[in-house]
Amino acid sequence: MDEEKKLTRKKNILYSAISVLLLCILLFPPYWALITSLKTEQEIFQNPPTFYPHILNLKSYAAQVETGDFNMFRSFANSFLISLGATGIAVVLAVPASYGIAKYRFRARKLMLLSFLVTQMLPVSVLLTPMFIMFKNMHVYNTWIAAVLADATIGIPFSVLILKNYFASIPKDLEEAAYLDGCNKFTAFVRILIPIAKPGVMVCAIFSFLYAWSDLAYGMTFILDQEKRPITAGIFNFMGQYGTKWSYLTAFAVVTIIPVALIFIFMQKYIVSGMTSGAVKG
Amino acid sequence: MKRKKLISLLTALTITVGLMAGCGSSGQTGNAENTKSAAGNVAVEAEKQNAEKTATGEAEAVTIWYYWETEGHQVALDQVIQDYNASQGNYQVTAKYVPFADFKKQLSIGASADELPDIAILDSPDHASYVKMGIFEELTGKFDVSSYYEGAVNSCTVDGNLYGVPFGVNCLALYYNEDMLKEAGREAPSTWDELMDTAKALTTDSVTGLALCSVQNEEGTFNFVPWLWSTGADSYSIGSENGIRALTFIQNLVNEGVMSKECINWTQGDVMNQFIAGNVAMMENGPWQIPTMQKEAPELNWKVTLIPKDSQYSSVLGGENYAVINGGNVEGALDFLTYATSEEKVKFLMDKFGYISADKAIAESQFEADSPYQPFVEELNYAMPRGPLAEWPSVSDAISLAFNQVITGTATPEDAAAEAQTTIDGIVK
Amino acid sequence: MGKIKKIFRYDNAGILFVLPAFIYMLVFVGYPIIRNIILSFQDVSAGNLVRGTKNFILFDNYMELFRDSVFRTSLFNTLRYTVLCLFFQFVIGFALALFFSRRFSFAKPVRGILLVPWMIPVTVTALMFKLLFATDIGVMNYILRSLHLIDKNIEWLTTPQTAMFALICANVWIGIPFNMILISTGLTTIPKELYESASIDGANKTQTFFSITLPLLKPTIESVLILGFIYTFKVYDLVYVMTSGGPVNSTHMLSTYSYKLSFEMFKYSKGSAVANVLLVILLIVGVFYIKATTEGEES
Repeated sequence: MDEEKKLTRKKNILYSAISVLLLCILLFPPYWALITSLKTEQEIFQNPPTFYPHILNLKSYAAQVETGDFNMFRSFANSFLISLGATGIAVVLAVPASYGIAKYRFRARKLMLLSFLVTQMLPVSVLLTPMFIMFKNMHVYNTWIAAVLADATIGIPFSVLILKNYFASIPKDLEEAAYLDGCNKFTAFVRILIPIAKPGVMVCAIFSFLYAWSDLAYGMTFILDQEKRPITAGIFNFMGQYGTKWSYLTAFAVVTIIPVALIFIFMQKYIVSGMTSGAVKG
Repeated sequence: MKRKKLISLLTALTITVGLMAGCGSSGQTGNAENTKSAAGNVAVEAEKQNAEKTATGEAEAVTIWYYWETEGHQVALDQVIQDYNASQGNYQVTAKYVPFADFKKQLSIGASADELPDIAILDSPDHASYVKMGIFEELTGKFDVSSYYEGAVNSCTVDGNLYGVPFGVNCLALYYNEDMLKEAGREAPSTWDELMDTAKALTTDSVTGLALCSVQNEEGTFNFVPWLWSTGADSYSIGSENGIRALTFIQNLVNEGVMSKECINWTQGDVMNQFIAGNVAMMENGPWQIPTMQKEAPELNWKVTLIPKDSQYSSVLGGENYAVINGGNVEGALDFLTYATSEEKVKFLMDKFGYISADKAIAESQFEADSPYQPFVEELNYAMPRGPLAEWPSVSDAISLAFNQVITGTATPEDAAAEAQTTIDGIVK
Repeated sequence: MGKIKKIFRYDNAGILFVLPAFIYMLVFVGYPIIRNIILSFQDVSAGNLVRGTKNFILFDNYMELFRDSVFRTSLFNTLRYTVLCLFFQFVIGFALALFFSRRFSFAKPVRGILLVPWMIPVTVTALMFKLLFATDIGVMNYILRSLHLIDKNIEWLTTPQTAMFALICANVWIGIPFNMILISTGLTTIPKELYESASIDGANKTQTFFSITLPLLKPTIESVLILGFIYTFKVYDLVYVMTSGGPVNSTHMLSTYSYKLSFEMFKYSKGSAVANVLLVILLIVGVFYIKATTEGEES
């Protein structure tokens, strides 16, 4: 905190102003999407373009609510459930895994670390068919479970790779103290390390949630019923039906961004502190 | 409790029926066991829904996949299905929307995993590929298609055997903005020279003369081939002098500024939106746009005419075919198709879709003489199908690439044509 | 005997923590990887996907690929795209991280909000950039015109070179926050005393950057770049929505081309072969990553 005083008042104002300017530049695309969604089609095609909607048009949002079989609220709920499920699996599996990799030196360690990386290396196109066959045999095809199981495969390796650095940065003394208190390896992990790693775990959860939230291919392929599909699938309804009717498409964009923004606002502390204390050692 | 028992009893029953249906119809499938369980699963799931929905619940499930995202299309199809379900008690039909961009993928994956619907309503040029894949039931002799348009029947015929029933047909024609033409003192063009001339006259700062969907995929190919065929070239001889002439003409349209390069990013829907927004004076498009145009721009004055010709009038046959999946509920699928292809239902569907009946007998009396659809009926006489060829997607890819190359100016018509010809020769030996 | 005992003492506990996640990934992704390798050595297309014999043709698919100009373009594009994206997002991310490491009042909240681009579904980001780069209504052209940098609208997405540029812009935008935050993290671990003693020794800012900041950040930089490489290299959604590989196949990447071959042209085996080329390249990068990150930590 005392470092803040080192900056002169003038510099503080200058830097703050620059940071706000940077913010405006980098957040321009979502801003543009937002105002486009509120314009009429005529105004969108206007030249020079308007930087705020002169005539407020909410029709494009009304269309989001229901078109054909697509119901926004239901898709929203679907996405939420699928993402939560995938997050649950990813957290339960990735947190211990990253701890194991960070704190233990076992034979297959490098190999396992590499395997986690390798699972990230196949493009979606070749994963779809074999996964589909598996889900069908597991009798979960066309259910949320299929999307949950598939989405978790994106969250797990990423979380492991980020979290292992986090656990590695926790001092050994804490563990040793736990052993002295009579903990075994497992209870030490559960009682001492998880609470310390809570921000890291939160970050892992948020990543997994966002990856699942942003997934399109798995949700589309493994779920056939429109009423069970995630919200990202709605993009096909809009692109197909309205072509490049930008007010509709951007309204769709805004609608999918909102939950992300909300999560972010509530979790900002965890995301930032979690990330700045993880990944320390690379 | 009672209800639960009833449901499980019915489930068991339908599984049995499903198994029998699976065995009875699949005939030559090697993997009969998978087929059985697939049919069983579909039946089980739909049965649960049935038991909840209707009191009778004895009906077998029949599922349909289709890709129309337009709400009007979905509602119309649904209407026919509901009428059918209400008309009899043996089968319960449900339709599932699979987005166009995902349709081929989903069918491919479904074929690998043996998880397919009972009926697929698919884009006609893809039909031959799936026949080759062996997932469609042969329908020779089961439907009378003698009065159907020849091209439409050809699109679902492989080696002389029928593997589908045309759902409805469409073709492309030239739309023009009447007011703009009048203002420029022009008549509707009927030859390429006239088209170029008219387009130049219509092009202003805010209006481009002509637009046609030029995306680099099947949709683009659909819009390109009428120009190719009009020269006398066919789909497999783009490298000929005629083929080069077609490419050169499209290139000239772009170079003269009467067609926007942006067309390569415009779907047919986008082209229509540009047309009704008044940004484009003429467009190549299909009859299915008419309901939307009438609804969204009722005050716009437009007309439809034949696509201007080089040496002969030419258009492309589009539309969907019904296909019955083998190993599924074939009996039920056939029963529904017999119902849906009756004159009354066809008329209803075509009307709501802005399609033309694939049955020539129905099509010719489908519209009033002054209907905007009538020019499309005339254009159908010049319309040819793409393929049918199992490797059509690869041929199509070569054709749309060549046109995209000349539109973007990345290759000369000669080079683009030669490259495409080499690719096509490698496919169609 | 003694060695085995030692292995077990070190091993069993650790591996037990890792196994559940490992098995999960093995079940869901292991099978696809193996299936894909087998498929790439066969001749599966529409004709024999469901029935008919699948012949093993060994490396024929791969040989065919290297004669295929679209494949070569895709391979080159993927490499070029990855390298350029990584370079720009890393440099900009690094600069921002340095900037926000200064303790001014807005530093923390603004840095936080800058993470937003990274959290938007990629398909949605692609849509937004498609709008920004549209020829007629795109605001990009408007801004350039207003600044008198251009006098005619650039046809961003319909010209091969500029379409690639637009894709890179979109990806850099997504990647900046990722790089910024990971480098910020690295910066906080550098002890302040080092800087203080350096300034006492009379070193200027450039000197301290090269003699202290960069060397100490090395592990962080390595992991940021290599992780970034993997995620950029298999880009799919962004390209699919923004350009679909066009115009004239000029922006096809290995992933989009693999998809096109498999699901649009029914060339399943060839599509798998493309995916395997991608896998092999990433595998090489991955091995380097593991080497770099586990180096020296055994002690």
